[in-house]
Parts: sequence; structure tokens; C-alpha cells
Amino acid sequence: MKDFATFRHVLIFLGVLLGVSGNPLNTVAADYPFGLLMVGPANDHGWSQAHFEAGQAMEKILPGAKMLYIDKVNPADRPGITIPMLVDDLVGKGAKLIIGNSDDMKDGIREAAAMHPEVQFIHISGDDALTGKSGANLSNLMGRMEYGKMMAGFTAAMTSTTGKIGYLGPLINAETRRLAAAAYLGARHAWVNVLKKPAAELQFKVNWIGFWFNIPGVTSDPSLVTGSLFDSDYDVVISGIDTTEALVVAGQKKKAGKEVWAIPYDYQGACAVAPEACLGVPYFNWIPGYTKMIGEAMNNKWQQQFLWLGPDWQAINNPDTTSIGFMPGNAMGDPQKKALADFQQALAKGLNLFSGPLNFQDGSTFLKAGETATDAQVWNLPQLLEGIEGASK
Amino acid sequence: MIELANISKNFGKVQALQGVSLSAEAGSIHGIVGENGAGKSTLMKILTGFTSRSGGEILCRGKKISLDRPSDAMRFGIGMLYQEPLDFPQLSVLENFMAGEAAFAPGQARADLARLAAAFGFVFHPDNRVETLTVGERQQLELLRLIHGGARLLILDEPTTGISERQQEQLFAALRRLKADGAAILLVSHKLEEIDSLCDTVTVLRHGRVAAAMRCPFDRQALLQAMFDSLPERLSPPQTATGKEPVVEFDRVVVTVGRAGLHEATITVRTGEVVGLAGMDGSGQAVFLKIAGGFLPPESGQIRRFGRTLPNGCGCSRDVAFLPADRLAEGLLPGMTLREHHILAARGHIFLSAATGLAGSRRAIDDFNIKGHPETTAEELSGGNQQRLLLSLIPDEVRLILMENPTRGLDVQSADWTWQQLHRRKAEDGAIIFASPDLEEIMAQATRVVVFYDGRIILDTPTAATDYHEISRAITGEAGTTGPSDEVGRSGLLPD
Amino acid sequence: MRYVQFMKHPLFSRFARISVIAGLALGGVGLLLFTLGISPVDIGVTLARGSILSLQKFGHVLTIWIPLLLCSCGLLFTFRAGLWNIGIEGQVVFGAIAATLLLREENLGLPAAATLILAHILSFIGGGLWAAFAGFLKNRGGVNEIFGGLGLNFVAQGLILWLILGPWKRAGVASMSGTEMFARELWLSTPPGWRLAPAALVIACIAFAATAVLLGATRFGLQIRATGINPTAARLFGIHPGRTGLLAMAIGGGLAGLAGGLQVSCVYHRLLPSISSGYGYLALLVVMLAHYRLRPVPAICLFFACLAAGSIQLPIVLKLDSSLAGVIQGACVVSALLVHGLQKRQRGEL
Repeated sequence: MKDFATFRHVLIFLGVLLGVSGNPLNTVAADYPFGLLMVGPANDHGWSQAHFEAGQAMEKILPGAKMLYIDKVNPADRPGITIPMLVDDLVGKGAKLIIGNSDDMKDGIREAAAMHPEVQFIHISGDDALTGKSGANLSNLMGRMEYGKMMAGFTAAMTSTTGKIGYLGPLINAETRRLAAAAYLGARHAWVNVLKKPAAELQFKVNWIGFWFNIPGVTSDPSLVTGSLFDSDYDVVISGIDTTEALVVAGQKKKAGKEVWAIPYDYQGACAVAPEACLGVPYFNWIPGYTKMIGEAMNNKWQQQFLWLGPDWQAINNPDTTSIGFMPGNAMGDPQKKALADFQQALAKGLNLFSGPLNFQDGSTFLKAGETATDAQVWNLPQLLEGIEGASK
Repeated sequence: MIELANISKNFGKVQALQGVSLSAEAGSIHGIVGENGAGKSTLMKILTGFTSRSGGEILCRGKKISLDRPSDAMRFGIGMLYQEPLDFPQLSVLENFMAGEAAFAPGQARADLARLAAAFGFVFHPDNRVETLTVGERQQLELLRLIHGGARLLILDEPTTGISERQQEQLFAALRRLKADGAAILLVSHKLEEIDSLCDTVTVLRHGRVAAAMRCPFDRQALLQAMFDSLPERLSPPQTATGKEPVVEFDRVVVTVGRAGLHEATITVRTGEVVGLAGMDGSGQAVFLKIAGGFLPPESGQIRRFGRTLPNGCGCSRDVAFLPADRLAEGLLPGMTLREHHILAARGHIFLSAATGLAGSRRAIDDFNIKGHPETTAEELSGGNQQRLLLSLIPDEVRLILMENPTRGLDVQSADWTWQQLHRRKAEDGAIIFASPDLEEIMAQATRVVVFYDGRIILDTPTAATDYHEISRAITGEAGTTGPSDEVGRSGLLPD
Repeated sequence: MRYVQFMKHPLFSRFARISVIAGLALGGVGLLLFTLGISPVDIGVTLARGSILSLQKFGHVLTIWIPLLLCSCGLLFTFRAGLWNIGIEGQVVFGAIAATLLLREENLGLPAAATLILAHILSFIGGGLWAAFAGFLKNRGGVNEIFGGLGLNFVAQGLILWLILGPWKRAGVASMSGTEMFARELWLSTPPGWRLAPAALVIACIAFAATAVLLGATRFGLQIRATGINPTAARLFGIHPGRTGLLAMAIGGGLAGLAGGLQVSCVYHRLLPSISSGYGYLALLVVMLAHYRLRPVPAICLFFACLAAGSIQLPIVLKLDSSLAGVIQGACVVSALLVHGLQKRQRGEL
């Protein structure tokens, strides 16, 4: 009798759990279900929400496309759950293509892609398709946010009264170094070439919190980091993380009478959190990239590729065509707006701020005078640049 | 002020109190004396509302009252000073003083405390934590709190155990003063000195009945006779040849555990001896046994067992067995079966099955006449059978058996049988040391009697060389006249 | 026929008790869902579909079941010895660190199989030492194992963060996302199409069997129980309660450490800050729900693992937060404690 005790436990629990169900809960059959794994919450006013909204747009743009999604895909929020498990679940629900939206998912997506050769994968911000670390069913997609960050840095330097600009960094890797460096180059351009001030008077400091968003007890608290930057006379903080703490803190300080501003990141609507302190936001628009890649997959024209899509210089905020944009905020002054428009014109015409002479943070040469950086050099930036304060690795 | 008429109390079939009457007058001190288990604690519990009486009446200023809960007692102005102060050690003196008051008025309380302390000559720092105080000071504080709370009948339970001479004087002065102020005081004590010097009347309890009631001055001899059962003048104590090998040696051993602790105990127990430890509860016998067993390290002094100094904090030696008073709480493993007890007590048996130790356990159950079977759990046994189980667990190689109340809860036949087993079990090269509240048992079974009083060995003599009166006098604090009468040495330090 | 006998019995039989616990917990959760306008049946079906109704999903369930079972076995040792091993999370973490120590080395000169075996032995030792440290603090320093364990959890968490951000970080990267992946041959091998490493399943089953034998059929198990029941009396039986408790801690911590080792070798293939996945704390709930008995533990672990794995389906299918699974777990434990408490009271009053 005792031998059955164990079985009995399971049966009783599961029996009650299952109940008698007349509702078989079938998934709605769609022509082309695709899965989206988001590292943060779907409503984070940042990185993940930008992906989520692009995914929703796909359902309209590509007839038959149907999004399945799981958000908060990170080991802290979903302990014990791995990317391959989630991919199994999505594939089990019929997903034919899976998007992983974080660099952090690189290992898991690679593993899942190997397990499911029949399913296509898009890994955002990775470069496996370039390096050949994965099979033909995995492509990479990224926006050329360097331009957005340059505009952010430009606006920050044009606005700052103290000449001290803070950068709230997530974790340190090639991508985040690249973006911090781009913001710095934009700021330096405004400071030296537009405002005609000596480069040495511009201070640009990067503080890394350790992850893309706050994980209490694990990362530094972005609100505290931003607050301490403002308290030490940095009057503009550019956010490099996926959530809006920098802008929230700036809004609070603004209400308290302090002249400070912030530039959030990732998501077009991010300024809404504190419009009075928002200088603008460089954002990703994943619609063009998604449309291209998912559209091709739906039409059986999938090919492994590495897409690094830039802005539509003709209409930088056109949701159908631009992959990155910059939405000016309420707090940006008119002179700055005009200067920014000129800057955008110059970029469109081919101004490349990654041009020599440029040194790395440790003083070694990155680009000699007259040299411009290749895509690969920018993509794999090994160090921060000279003039930036903060850790490089 | 309070009158008890014909109070009785029974716990199941056990009659703890039977027709007890006494009255505590305002402006007098009334002593209550009696052996362990005479019914003193039960009587006090009834007076303080912790236990309800089974029969009889309580009158307060001539009116019948019911004491069903402690708050009733407080309402009628009955306050008790417990042996272990019932205070809150982590709180301050002032906070303790205020405890139980309805109103929160620290300023007022501070002033009251200062006034009362000055009146009684006590010194307190209101903001010190109570845990930094000595037992005597805590007692003083408790006394003030009770008086402040309006207590008109004060009950004191063995108040002088473990307090200094000076504190004792202060306490007596305070009690006399309270008496003069019209308070009624009940003093429970086994120290006849105290009773003599403080009390106006005394009631002697024995076996739950009033054995005598006397007025001051008391006839010491009559009091003692009323307290203790009369015994045949001379039992034949077991004659055992005392060997030469020391089994346990205590050399000026000091501990401060418990109220009385143990003060510089020096004693040598040799092979062949059966030593009976007498004294009121908490006079040091239990602590002595724990130290001898190695369960309690001495704070100073040395102990040797079988000639070897005991390492500290050991206690798990296989040549010593300890049978504690509270068998279930200290000696047995509730929830485990008899078979499991026997497996643990025996050697061997690394891997166990349902059959392991079954035969051994059955044999032990038969040998020791335990009413149970191998799969009975320890807590299912009656008290007597628990004691049999403990006896059956003593390994063969044991040379020293230590026991608290070896026959408590056993009927006469079981007790006799137990002692037969013990004498049989005692190896030629071993010894037995036991504490018992039952003088008859000590006289009948022990070859040597050691009496504890206030943490000191006050009398140490071969049973053959002493008598029942000397022992009862020693228990109540009177040093015997018989000197050390054997070469073993009487090493108890007598109070000057 | 038998059922009538249950009903007559003044105390619940085991069967009836489990039904009552399940009924209370799921009834409560069901009522809550119902008032929120969510169909409990949908939830049930979704959870079941996401866990037991496909072989692949069941692989995921077992991936969670294995470390949970190991931690629960570890806790049985310490609970039997009367110790509250709250420090189990830290022991899982420490075991994971110990295994990573070997697995991240590329040039050990050992065959992969030997490295893996050594790594798991090391994880057992690592977790065991970490637990023994809490036991040592209790024996020597008088630090209650609850507070000692809690403190050591924080220390272990700090240590793992430091390792991942410091000495063991990926080249050029400072990220919470963990260390570099181990070399492929140092992953506990998973056959194609499988979702878990068979070796891990074998280890878990052996550990459970060993726990059952050690606790149920050896003198040592009896000594641990005696220490837990009554340390004063245990000394009369020649048992050293401090030493026995320490040993129980070490074994319990070792099993937790082994869980941590398997987390790195067969689930994540790298060390990350949340490597313990909260299995230590979850195992505390498992063991409480099992009322500290061995037999129900695998089933309860399986139930919890099903909830955890199945809960992924909630956001996909029903757009509900998966933390609902936690609510069900909590409700089960509270119901179990309630039922056990009521029974105890009933027994006491009889």
C-alpha cells in the first residue's frame, strides 16, 4: 500500500488541478505565428516596449503574422527558466520564427537555434551571423544607434551650462562602449565645432550600473547613480539603460528647482515620463527591420544576414522607414533645435564623427588623422575614447 | 486578611492537598514549611490564581472570593515573589517596575520607585537593565513592584536562596517593616532559622495535609517531627565493602548555574559506594549530578572520573549512565520506538532494517518487565515503564550510575524491583550516586549520605553513622554534630 | 469501503489529509481567480499542458525537479537534526562556484568526463563546507543557524557577483549576465532531442536513494533524529549533538551544493548571479509541505516543478503573469501547515 503513496500524491494534486475541462483552449490558428522574447517588461517605456510595439505592428503590416511573446526573460525574473526552454514553449505553440531581443540571450538563442533548425531566429544586437558561430537559421538585426547617440550627445552639450555630461551606462560590452563613445563624439562636436569652446572644458563621465535595468541588490540603483551625477554638477544625464530612471530623477530635480535635463533611450514615447526635463530621445524603430526579416521568412526567402540599419535621413521619425530616430523633447530650446537640424543635415551628407585623429581612453591611437573607422571597428570598439571618464571593461 | 478553609486539590487520582486551612492575618508573618512534595507549591498556585482548587473556600476580609486567574489575585491584593524572579531581564529597572500597570506614566513611576526604594533602603538605577542585577536586587525590585501595585498579601517562596547576607538582612528588615504597616506575609521556606526569626505563626504541611500549626516561639524538635515522616529508628543500611579506587573526585568545584549553584564542592566517591544525595529541591544535588556526568563544565575546580580529568563539554562517555528526573524531557527520545532506543544504546548495527535490534529489544522488555512492545514509542509508556526503559538502556560496561529521583512515580513493588536491579547492575568496581527527596529511600539504599544546603555540602557521612534526625536537621540548615567518621573524608564546607 | 473507514477515523488518514490540503489550497486559489474573472479551469489546463502533457515539456519539468529534489533531500538531513538550514541558498551558490572553478579552466589536462566528475564532487564539498561553516558558527560562536545561514547567503551572493564582475568576467565585458560559456565537452551531455542530461537524473535519483537509506536505515540516521528530538537525552546515548548536527549540515549543504553544480554543468553551462534560481527557498516549502517526511518529497518537488515550468504558458496563452504559480505554491504550503496545525491541536485536545 505504501508504495502507492507517492503516486497518490501526484494524482490527487494533478487531478484537482486539471479538473474536468470542457474548454480545450486551442491556440488560434494563425498563418505565421512568431515568438518574441523580451528581456524586460513589455511596458517598460524603453527597449522591450519598442520591440513589443513593432511586433504588434507586424500583425497589421504582414497579413497572417501573429505574435506570441514572453517578457521579463532574464534569470533574475524567471529563476530556473532558460532560453531553450522558452523557445521550446513558443515552438510548441506554433512559432515559426523567434526573436530574442537582448545581447544577454546570445548563448541561449544560439543553443536553441541548434536545437530547432526548422525555426528561424533573429537575435537583436548580436553578431553570430557575422562570426559564423551559428547555423543558417540565425540572423542578427540592429539599428545604427550611434547616430541617435551622437544626436543625444550633441543636444546635451548644446544645452549644458556646466559643461559636465553624465552617461548612465548599463553593463560594459562592445555595444555599450560604442554607444557611449558615439554620445561623447556628438557632444564634443557640439562643444568644439558649434559652441567653439575648448575640448578640455567638456567633461563626459560614464557610470555603469551593471545591467540593462535595475535589479535590486544586484545592480547599482540607477536612480541613485543619476542623483549623484546631478548632485556633482552634471546637468545633463544621457541614459544608456533600458528604463527611464534618469529622466524620472531629472523630472524630480526640475520640480525642486534645479536646472537639469535627461535624455532617455530606446523608446519613442519615453519622454512622456517627465516631459519638462526631457531634451529628446534617440529611439529604435524595429518595424523596418522586422518587416524585412519576417516578411522574407514568411515568403520562404529567409537568408542568414547581419542587418545594421540606419536612419532614414529624409524623414528621421518616419515609423515605416527609419530604423533609428530622434524625437526632440519639450525641454529642448529653439536654438538647440536649429543646431540639431543642422547637425542632422551634416550627418546625412556624410559627416563621420568616427574620424581621426582619435585616441582610446588609455592614450593609444584608435584612428590616425585622415582615417575613418570601418563598421567592424565601430561594432567591436574595444575601449572608450580619450576624453571619457569611466571604466572601459 | 486571607483565610483558606478546607482547601483540597486533586490532579487526577493524586490528592495534592486535602482539607488545608490556614489564615494570613494583616500585620503578621506566617510561615509555611514542609518537605518536597508536601503541597506548598500547589497551595501557592491556588492563592495566585494559577490553579483552581478542587474544594474548600477562600475568604478575603470575610467574603468568599474566587481565584480563577492571576489577574483575580492581583485584584484582591495578592502578590507573589517567585523563587526565579518573574521579570523581564532585557528591560530596564523602571520598565520592569511599571510592568502590569494600567496607566503609562513613566515620570510618576520614576518618582514612586525612588520614594519606595529610599523607604526600604534599596539602591536602584532606574535605567539599568535588569539582567545586570543580582538575584537579590531583582527580588528587591519585584517586591517594590508588588507593593506599588497594591499587594496587601505577599507570598515569598524560598526568598533567601542565592542572595547575599547583606541582601538577606535588607529583605528581613523590609518584611518586618511591611508587617508593621499592616501587610500580611506568607513565607515559604525550609530554613528553620528564618522561620524562627521572622514568623509569628507557622503551618507545617505533610503529604498535602496540615501536619501542625504553631505559634511563636516554636519547638524546633516538634517542628521537625511534623515536617518529616517518622521512620523506624534504625533501618539496616546496605553494608558494602567500600573499595579504595576513586570513581569520582570533586576538588573545590564551583558553578553558578541555578539559584543555589554549587560552592566549592570537594568529595571523593569510591568503588562499591552507593551515595544518596539529600536536601531540598534546588539545593545543589541536581547540579552536582550533572557535573559528575560531565554534562555541565565546572567554572572552577577539578573533576576526575576513574582517575582521569574530564575534558570540558564531553558528557558522552560509555562508562557513565545518567537517569534524569524528568525522564521524557531529559532521558528519552519521544517519537522513537523502544527498539530504536535499544539500537542507539547498544553498539554495532550500522545498517538497520525493520528487524534490527528486535530480538535485543524484546529481551530487554522481558528482562525489565516493560509494559510495551518494541514498536511502542517512549512517550506512550507510563512513568514507571519509562524508568524501566531507562534502566534497560544502561550499557553493560557502565561503572558509574547517576540518578535523580530513581523511584519517582513508581509504586512500592516497582521501586523495590528497581533497586534490586540497580544493586545487581552495580559492578564491583563501580558506584551509584542518586538524589532523592525520599529520606527513607536514602536510608534504605545508600551506604553514604550527603546533604546539600544552599549549594553547599553540609553533611557527608556513612549511613550507618547517622540517623534520620541528623539528616533532617541538616536539610533545614543545621550542621550536624557528627564529624567525618570515615577515612573517605568529609569535605563539605560548613558555613561558619 | 475504505473511504467509509477514513470518514469514521477521528483523525484524517493520510489520503484524506492530502485531499483536504489540495482542496483548501486549490479551492482558495480558484476562488481568488474566479473573483478576478479568470477561469481556474483555463489556468489548470494551461499549466498541465505546459508541463506534463508533452515529453519535451516534461524534460523541462525534470530540469527543475532535479535541483529541487537535491535541495529538499539536503533539508531533510538538517530538519531531522532539528536545524533550520536557511543558508541553503548560499550552499547552492557555493556549490555552483566550486564546480565553475574547474569547469571554466580550459587546460586542466584531464579528460572531460574526469573534469565533470571532479567538478560535481567539488560542488558537493563546496556546499558542504559552506553549510558546515554555519554549523561551526552555531557550535562555537553560539550563532543560531538561521541567522548564520542568512548571513552566509548574503556573503555567497556577494562572492558570486564579485567573481562574475571581477576575476571571472567575459573578456571585455562587465555584465551580470554571467561568465563565459564552458567548453562544449564540459556540458553534461544531453542526447539530441532530449531536454535534460540523463546523468543529472541519475545523480538526483541516487542522492534521493542515499538520503532514504542514510536517514531511514542506518544508525547515523537514528542519531540525527535523536539529536533533533532531544539533544539532552541524545548525549545520554553517547551522541555528540553538536558534532552530529554539524555532520547533518555538511551533508545537507553538500546535496545543495550538488544542485548548484548541476545548475552550471547542465542547465546554464556558465555561472550567473541567480544560479540558485531560488530552489533552496522553494525546497524549504517542499519539505514543510511534506511535513518533514521523506516519502512525499519527490512528488511534491514534481508538482512544484510542473507549476514552475507550466507557468511559462500563462503569459503566452492567457496573457497572465507567471507569478501566479508562486501564489499556488504558497497557498499549498499555508494549507498544509494549517491542516497539520489543526490536526496537532485536535490530537492535543483529545
